[in-house]
Amino acid sequence: MNSNGLQESTTRRQAIAGRSSGEGLPLSEPLIDLHQVVKTYESPSQPFTALRGISLQVRAGEFVAVVGKSGSGKTTLLNILAGIDRPTSGAISVAGTQLHALSESQLAEWRGRTIGLVFQFFQLLPTLTIVENVMLPMDFVEIIPAAERRPKALKLLERVGIRDQADKLPVTLSGGEQQRAAIARALANDPPLLLADEPTGNLDSATGTSVLELFANLNAEGRTIVVVTHERDVRRYIGRQVMLRDGRVADGVQPEADQLEPAEVRP
Amino acid sequence: MTRLLFVKLLRDLRGAWERIVLMILALSITLVMFSGVFYTWGVTGREMARAYLSTNPASATIWLERGLNADEMAAIAVEARKQPGIIDATSRTQFTLQVQQEGGGWGPNPLQIFVAAPDDPMRIENFTVEQGSWPPAAGEILIDRSSFDLLKLEVGEAVVVQAPNGAPTSLRISGVVYDPALAPSFQEQKGHGFISAESLPVLGEPVALDALNIQVADQPGLITPSRDRDVIVATARDLVGWLQQTYGVAIREIQVPTPYAHPHQAQADSLLLGLLVFGVAGLLLSAILVATMLNGLFTQQIPQIGIMKAIGARSSRVLQLYLLMTLVIAVASTALAIVPGIFISRAFTPAILTLLGVDAESLTAPAWMYAVVIAAGLGVPLLFALASLVKTSRTTVREALDYRGVDRRGDISARFDAGLGRLRGLDRTVLMAFRNIFRRRARFLLSVGLLASAGGVFVGGMSTMAGFQASLDRERELRRWDVDVRLAGIDQVLADALTNLVADLPGVTRVEGWSTLQTSVIPPGQQFSVTRTYPDQGHGSIAVTVVPPDSSLMDPPPMLEGHWLGPNETGAIGISQGVAEDLPDIRSGDTIQLSIGGRPTNWRVVGIAESVGHGGGIFITQEGFEAATGVSQPNLLRIVTDNHDEETRTAVAQAAERTLTDAGIVVLSAASVSRSAAAGAGHMLPLILVFLGLSIAMSVVGFAGLASTMSTNVLERTREFGVMSAIGAPASTVRRLVVLEGIFIAVVSCMIAAIPALLLTAIMTGVLPMPGTFQISVSGVVIWIVVVVLGAALATLAPASQASRLTVREALAYL
Ligand SMILES: Nc1ncnc2c1ncn2[C@@H]1O[C@H](COP(=O)(O)OP(=O)(O)OP(=O)(O)O)[C@@H](O)[C@H]1O
Ligand SMILES: [Mg+2]
Repeated sequence: MNSNGLQESTTRRQAIAGRSSGEGLPLSEPLIDLHQVVKTYESPSQPFTALRGISLQVRAGEFVAVVGKSGSGKTTLLNILAGIDRPTSGAISVAGTQLHALSESQLAEWRGRTIGLVFQFFQLLPTLTIVENVMLPMDFVEIIPAAERRPKALKLLERVGIRDQADKLPVTLSGGEQQRAAIARALANDPPLLLADEPTGNLDSATGTSVLELFANLNAEGRTIVVVTHERDVRRYIGRQVMLRDGRVADGVQPEADQLEPAEVRP
Repeated sequence: MTRLLFVKLLRDLRGAWERIVLMILALSITLVMFSGVFYTWGVTGREMARAYLSTNPASATIWLERGLNADEMAAIAVEARKQPGIIDATSRTQFTLQVQQEGGGWGPNPLQIFVAAPDDPMRIENFTVEQGSWPPAAGEILIDRSSFDLLKLEVGEAVVVQAPNGAPTSLRISGVVYDPALAPSFQEQKGHGFISAESLPVLGEPVALDALNIQVADQPGLITPSRDRDVIVATARDLVGWLQQTYGVAIREIQVPTPYAHPHQAQADSLLLGLLVFGVAGLLLSAILVATMLNGLFTQQIPQIGIMKAIGARSSRVLQLYLLMTLVIAVASTALAIVPGIFISRAFTPAILTLLGVDAESLTAPAWMYAVVIAAGLGVPLLFALASLVKTSRTTVREALDYRGVDRRGDISARFDAGLGRLRGLDRTVLMAFRNIFRRRARFLLSVGLLASAGGVFVGGMSTMAGFQASLDRERELRRWDVDVRLAGIDQVLADALTNLVADLPGVTRVEGWSTLQTSVIPPGQQFSVTRTYPDQGHGSIAVTVVPPDSSLMDPPPMLEGHWLGPNETGAIGISQGVAEDLPDIRSGDTIQLSIGGRPTNWRVVGIAESVGHGGGIFITQEGFEAATGVSQPNLLRIVTDNHDEETRTAVAQAAERTLTDAGIVVLSAASVSRSAAAGAGHMLPLILVFLGLSIAMSVVGFAGLASTMSTNVLERTREFGVMSAIGAPASTVRRLVVLEGIFIAVVSCMIAAIPALLLTAIMTGVLPMPGTFQISVSGVVIWIVVVVLGAALATLAPASQASRLTVREALAYL
């Protein structure tokens, strides 16, 4: 365990916390606020409760890693944060919005403005070029004037380091490049919150590390990030680690990363 | 629609172009068929009505018991025009004569001659003179253009007819007439001619006219002929009352055909509507196909929809995208279909109109029909795709994440699966094929439905034709005699004497003396009848058949009600189903008054028989006929020959005619019974072709559907097949798996097809203007099963080899 790295990221986090978030939320109000969230999947055989009462707060500017064994509920938690799934009970507020109050279409639009999503699989539309994929969320949400969309998308691609691949189709890109394109697309509408589910799970460790560095840089610019990951080296970049065990936030490892049992991060 | 989504749409269309082209072709092929039949229906109906009305058909014809001379009748007509509700009136007459064949002898096909005074204004029941002029001079005749071939006549030559006194009389053919109010000669097996009253003396007839043709308005003062038959009948009755009172004439019959309807209007309508049913079925079938294929396309896009939703797309945007995709297909196929549909109707309409003996003024369909076709072309596929459009656009990110190409399964199919697994000895590939089919139940049902509808149409069409054939065969079977000899019936010779004359001729095994005549029903309390008979005196009239005692040529028919005539029952009639339908209130046990030989006679209905063979109509016994009319001479000899070939029949017919004529008996015609059957069958050919064409086109759509469904299935399971080959499944196993699925779908569709096949056959048998018995064509069923199973195997071959060629790498790259 590298205490230097942890030290570094903690200071950075404190530095960011001093600035106001993209949405201009008051500091006292957390960007994400989960209260006693329960998620039960109804399956034909028997219902399965994946989250058993999660209460969690994330302040603007934080970089949080969600870790835990396979099946512990990480993806479920992230999907609930993104409004992809609705909790069976409990309350969620993200960026000041009570998610339960929104319809499916409102959720989609809210997601487009508020959240940048990055999945484990690359999930680019195969028939659109890389830059078109990045422009797509701008088209959906329409907060960026049409004329500025392409320059902005190109700038984002520049930012993630694949500006020269802009006009290619996704299949011609490598896994790491596609993941970067997906991150650029997640940033298209300048969302205050970036959610990523195992963004490095499909990449070799060098590429994975560079993607994580990209996240760290984005966090340094003030973006709030929640990432589900198995990556061992993640602690060098993150501010806080939330460990799930059997659908609950594991006790005793709550706010500070130095209380983590390394064995539990990667079983 | 954002620009990027539009770009995506174009690229998706390009990526799936084979399927898009297939959808467009399937839709446009069926739209062509539908619109072709639809326009034909519309144009035929319009042209028939126009042509018929152009002749100014009479609303009613009042027949006098005895004719008056032309001047007297003209004066009556002038007075009649002044009566209330009468728009116009004129006087005519007509009769039917035998025509001499080449080389002597009276031919089988008679000539009906219409007579008008030379100074008749020809406003009512007019016709077009195509060659020559009206009125023809005395001794000259104009011939209907459709009669020349039938009677083998030429303009400028003579036609020799048997005058009412029996003497051959020659009339010179001075011109050609087109009369669209008459059914063409080849259909009626009867020629039509037109003479002026001045020619009557040439035929040895007095110059007397016995028909008053009138046009009736809805109300006095109006000048448009009424469309209401009840009004016409009432006005005609009033006029008859006035005629009887003013001129003291006796009335034989009032004829009021259906107003504004060509004699074959109903048949043409039901025939074309029947075809239209096929056309609509085809269109719906291809719409189902397109919905299936679109559903496949949409399904394939579920992961992408998930992404779009995840990055902020609302359902409405996704809906727009796929709606536009559907519209592109609908618009393209409609655009493709418009012109060929018009071409088909332009080829088909004249064929139908020729059958009806009507010239088209224009073959252009009315504008609203084009609008309907366009609306159907755009609307029907859209309507069918709507459910899957809405469902697709509502896909949530969660559903997209969960999507594995497997329906959410209920307990039933889980148990079904478990049950299948327990079946020992069942090949594992077969097991997988079964399971896969039930994974996408909706698509399975659609492909089954598609093939089943195609099968239903095919078997339905084949069965309809088999039904007609069966009823023809049945009629032939019931017709146990070989030669019909028609007699004038004016000689006072007893039936026995007549039959004895013929019985000893070589080749004759049996002779019976029958009679046939026309009748009409006289309502209770009236002295004359009001019929629906058309001017040709055939359509709308009722035939009476007099059955000789101990006839071996006719078995008692199956009865719907009551009993069949006893051998010597008098005062009794048996009526056929067809007649019973025209006389709605008739029950067995009722008494009705019939006009026979111009005299009212009373009869008791003893039973209603199924209409099978013998042309239907009213049947009475020889004794009953004699008792009612005093006539004992038959007018029809039915001869059974020892050999039933054409040669023997013709030889016997000629010998019988010679023998009878030598004995001084007037023979109208003597001919083999197979002659008219052959003439009728020829005209069915174009219709049969249209039927087969429709069902074959539909089957093609069905197979296209199966192929596309299977290739969607394969595409969707790319990963699965990739994994199968990764774990060592040989290509042949994968191929077999896919082909088995296709064949299973085909077999299930065959079972389901029974329902539409039965329904369609029942509808078509009922609606078409041909006698048909309800039956299912066994050869049709066998052909379909063979075709569909082979077709399914072939149609799945391409997707199957596509699946077996999938590499692990391709499978993993698939999104
Ligand atoms: N749609 C679903 N229906 C039923 N059960 C589900 C569903 N999704 C997840 N589960 C169950 O909920 C539990 C938590 O799943 P989740 O995907 O959140 O785990 P995870 O922590 O992301 O695991 P991994 O590290 O393997 O991705 C698992 O036991 C899983 O089987
Ligand atoms: Mg997960």
